[in-house]
Amino acid sequence: MNNINGKIWLFGDDINTDLMYPQVCYTLNEDEKPFYAMSANRPGWSRMVNRGDIIVAGRNFGTGSSRPAADNIKNLGISCVIAESINGLFLRNSVNSGFLALQAPGITNIVIEGDIVYIDLKNNEIINKSNNKKINFKPLPQFLMDIIDNGGIINILKNKKLLGGPL
Amino acid sequence: MNIIEKILKNHSENIKEVSPGDIITVNVDRAIITDMAALHPEFINNPPLRPFDSDKIAIIFDHFVPPPNIEISNRINKLRKLANLWNIKDFYDSGSSGISHVIAAEKGFLKPGSLIANTDSHTIAVGAFNTIGRGLGTPEIMNIIATGRTWFLVGETIKVNLNGKIKNNTSSKDVFFSIAKATGDIPNNNIEFHGDGIKHLTMDQRSSISTMCAELSAEFSVFPYDNVLKSYMDNINVYDYNPIKPDNNAYYYRTYDIDLGETEPMVALPDRIINNIRPVSEMNKTEINVCIIGSCANGRLSDIKDAAEILHNNRVNKNVRLIVTPASTKIYREALKLGYIDEIAGAGGLVTNPTCGACLGGHMGVVGDTDIVISSTTRNFKGRMGSKDAKIYLASAKTVAISAIKGYISGGLNE
Ligand code: SF4
Repeated sequence: MNNINGKIWLFGDDINTDLMYPQVCYTLNEDEKPFYAMSANRPGWSRMVNRGDIIVAGRNFGTGSSRPAADNIKNLGISCVIAESINGLFLRNSVNSGFLALQAPGITNIVIEGDIVYIDLKNNEIINKSNNKKINFKPLPQFLMDIIDNGGIINILKNKKLLGGPL
Repeated sequence: MNIIEKILKNHSENIKEVSPGDIITVNVDRAIITDMAALHPEFINNPPLRPFDSDKIAIIFDHFVPPPNIEISNRINKLRKLANLWNIKDFYDSGSSGISHVIAAEKGFLKPGSLIANTDSHTIAVGAFNTIGRGLGTPEIMNIIATGRTWFLVGETIKVNLNGKIKNNTSSKDVFFSIAKATGDIPNNNIEFHGDGIKHLTMDQRSSISTMCAELSAEFSVFPYDNVLKSYMDNINVYDYNPIKPDNNAYYYRTYDIDLGETEPMVALPDRIINNIRPVSEMNKTEINVCIIGSCANGRLSDIKDAAEILHNNRVNKNVRLIVTPASTKIYREALKLGYIDEIAGAGGLVTNPTCGACLGGHMGVVGDTDIVISSTTRNFKGRMGSKDAKIYLASAKTVAISAIKGYISGGLNE
């Protein structure tokens, strides 16, 4: 995976899956779903996101259910989430959806909304280009990075010819 | 090793010791798919060609029974096709189904010592059965169906000692609230229950507590194996299992002591549970207009019984709609036979078929903008049960039933 560079949107603690993927999303068309992300806590936000933007958040990001919340913010164009801590189920679901979610305790102390951050995946470092402050993140084990690099678990299953056609 | 570490170890290959921080690959004893899988486009468009073992897969319809709209109905029909294609014996369609965690217990899938994977996030419920399980995303379940395996990052485990006996006016939901107050949330960590109070807790009560541990963001929860669990398994004629005890030197990174006798009726205020719990006695007659009893946490026979007994010779307040949703077909039928459903209906409550229903705001009681809800379900996130402007208080089935009569949040009929 290549290093990431992007403008950040700042969110608080305990951002849950139902905020990222509200109930209405279940039966919408794929291209409409992402625009409902965070509509309950931050109406209008989804329309302001540009491809490549990054979410920075507080602790326990992604608490909640197994709904495809990571896919939804990925499809909105978000390139990565960096949080004080990431909920275990959300982390799994992100990896399996080919979406990078990083835990970097202290991240919320070195950024304000709109800053540009640079994620150096080789050196496990996040650099805030707007103020030159740096922080380390916990790298994901290589086998999880491999799933992300393959675009998620479904791609891997497809490549192994373990999936069938539409029902 | 503690119980959770031992169960993980027993499901891995060639590993002698499991400790926090390890990432291990495990074989799964059973994978459960609910009707929600039908809402994941990849599952419908590219389902696994064949399961690793048809006998280890269960398909259980619960969230949308019966389907509330054409789209969902069409998608769920595709799952019926799949159950047939994969030759799944353990397929529970409307008419025989119920909430997956409850059906799993009734059908004997939760053998002490086993490891369960399920698409639903309250799979931690299985902990009551000395079993561990975790809710997983649909793509990951597709991988498990195809390969029988997955991975876990082993978290730290906290020990919660449940001591003494709960008082008559309190419920296991209140015990959970006491636990949540003590521990706060514990993302990525596990919770193991110990203590002399467990022997007084029924399987319903343990299940309610373990289910709610999902709201602590815990990875796994587990109860010990004891006579209460043994008799449950004997009753459903399941004997082939391997219960797990912790080692004497098991490591727990923190210990909490909860005195069940001190527990009182409590509610979680709207939007979240953690740091948001108050005794009912401090609620100052907060008015409500929707009362829901149901869900995998508190839609069990004992909860329906609590509601029926409280509603006996009483009436649901004229400003309130009360919806009661039994958690499984079995519970529904027993509640019918025992007269609970008649008692509730006679008091002006509405009893639905078994389903998740209002808990996820899917159907059977979706709430509107101005509704103020008290519910025995699991979650009170903004928008969880319908409108994002509705206010959702969580409480035990008892507190919900009493509030339904009063029209305000109350912990006692005589208040
Ligand atoms: S009852 Fe509620 S919490 Fe339980 S499985 Fe159904 S939707 Fe999830």
